[in-house]
Amino acid sequence: MSKDVEKAGDECAPQGWSRRSVIKAAAGTAGALAMPAIVRTARAAEVLYVNTWGGTWEKAAAKHLFEPFTRETGVEIRTVSPVSFAKLAAQVRTGVYEFDVTTLGGGDIVRANAAKIIDAVAGSPLGANGPWKDAVFENGVASHAFSTIIAYRTDRFPKGGPQTWADFWNRQDFPGSRCLQRYCARVLPLALLADGVPQDKLYPLDTERAFRALERIKPDLRVWWTQGQQSQQLLRDGEVDMVGIWHSRALELIDQGHPVGISWKQAEIDRAYWVVSKDTPRREIAWKFIQSAVQPERLAGFCREALYGPLNPAAFEFIPKEEADRMPTGPRNYPLAFEQNVEDFGGNLQKVTQRFEQWLAS
Amino acid sequence: MIPTALRGASKPWLLLLPLALFLCTFFLVPLGQVAMMSVTEPEPGFGNYAHLAGDALYLQVFLNTFLTAFGVAVGCLLLGYPLAYLMAQSSPRVAALLMLLVTMSFWTSFLVRTYAWMVLLGNNGPLTALLGFLGWDPPPHLLFTRFSSTLAMVHILIPYMVMSLYSVMKRIDPALLRAAESLGAKPWGVFRQVYLPLSAPGMVNGATLVFMICLGFYVTPVLLGSPQEQMVAGLIGTQIEEFLDFGQASAMAMVLLASTLIVLAVYHRRFGLDRLWG
Repeated sequence: MSKDVEKAGDECAPQGWSRRSVIKAAAGTAGALAMPAIVRTARAAEVLYVNTWGGTWEKAAAKHLFEPFTRETGVEIRTVSPVSFAKLAAQVRTGVYEFDVTTLGGGDIVRANAAKIIDAVAGSPLGANGPWKDAVFENGVASHAFSTIIAYRTDRFPKGGPQTWADFWNRQDFPGSRCLQRYCARVLPLALLADGVPQDKLYPLDTERAFRALERIKPDLRVWWTQGQQSQQLLRDGEVDMVGIWHSRALELIDQGHPVGISWKQAEIDRAYWVVSKDTPRREIAWKFIQSAVQPERLAGFCREALYGPLNPAAFEFIPKEEADRMPTGPRNYPLAFEQNVEDFGGNLQKVTQRFEQWLAS
Repeated sequence: MIPTALRGASKPWLLLLPLALFLCTFFLVPLGQVAMMSVTEPEPGFGNYAHLAGDALYLQVFLNTFLTAFGVAVGCLLLGYPLAYLMAQSSPRVAALLMLLVTMSFWTSFLVRTYAWMVLLGNNGPLTALLGFLGWDPPPHLLFTRFSSTLAMVHILIPYMVMSLYSVMKRIDPALLRAAESLGAKPWGVFRQVYLPLSAPGMVNGATLVFMICLGFYVTPVLLGSPQEQMVAGLIGTQIEEFLDFGQASAMAMVLLASTLIVLAVYHRRFGLDRLWG
């Protein structure tokens, strides 16, 4: 039985992107990259294994991050998917490396750093502080962001759907079924915002209050999504009337012409960071790759294609305004959004998650 | 298909060697490591197990897993029995065709089948529309209930039940049924007093198989059930994927394994393990 549930920072394949096409894309990339025969013979041994989310993510990364890097250095990039935090840990335990580089969310970075399974940025060519202000967070190099936003069926709310989390929690003015991600660390801050906690005073989270707030809409939460694709399907098929969903997923629905509206207000940002697996034999190339992957122009290309928001501010120089307005970190949307504080969560995440699951099961 | 040269050879068990090696390397050794982790991580001792015993969520999910598996086994039996009976009574051609239909679901991807149920049972799906048309207003929510997840799991596991039943029913001697009739039993009496007891081993086999396989289910209840339908396998995944808590996850896995073995042991005492596959 495949355990196909996506976790933190999941940016998994949209429908229609099968394993075969992933392999094809990867093979195509590898083929194109290996083309200059001289380079191939000269550097045949140099390969870097990158852990990817597959799907659109990998397609965009291959085009904008992997291919330019190979052209430049001759290092062939092979991909492994999907992203698994557990595998990263297992690699360091066993010394068998399936991938050298991966992306992690903020919360995972803190845990990975504590578990000593990622390499220190300080000793890398990027230097301890990285290429721009706030580029480095605990041995991860900031790359791109996605956000959890409110999306709703415009046919169910012709006069305008919920715009804030308080609206989302308002069962009188916005009746209908609701859906959120089954992911405690992302849901609790939303409940607190809905309950009136100011955006800048969210952390450390008042978990008691968050659970009380969640209790208010529990009857309308018949289903909790666990996979990005599932969240899309639930809204598209009208199983739910509003959903807390990743912005890229909602934009895809709108682009496909479904009656879906979104709000960028109080968008909850998740950052993705590049990390290097600790003690990998290909450490040096790995850091070189990361350095290249966060260059403004390449990052911009990746984000435009995969519908992310770049975290390197310089990348916006290469992004047209109307596209920047579809990004959570763009100049219009970022002031409306809020960032999660993964260092000061407000309790032991494992215990809180346990409680969350228990609350769900009761 | 034993080659002639090997037939009657003095050491036939040598044939088992490749499989034994394979199982040992890729199954028993890793399993042993999991067992080790459950008592060594994060520190040596039985702390992980002690923690489980006092963990309300785990106990609740564990109980739910068993109840679900039991319900699915009963559902498979109720739906599979008439089908297997029909197959056993039909001509070989019809029986083969029916068997093909039953096993066809094996060839369909697991996730595809799950999503197919979402379409069928959804708010805008045909079943809801039919109930609405028949005057059920507003039509009931079928999806994301215990009903929908159980139904889907029954669908996935019913081939095991049908095959177990069919293999036993096929061996029931029709002469016994005729004898009962000639002694004056009515059709229902023949079935209840002769056929049903004779087919009982198939029922037990099928139910045991379905029950044990169902214990490890995870995706279906999460995608089709209500949030209350969490199964142990999912909990184990969360411990590893989100918390890197290999020790706790290993302990959970060992408890699940032990309970499966207990079911097998009970079965073996009563019926003999060699009969499990009919």
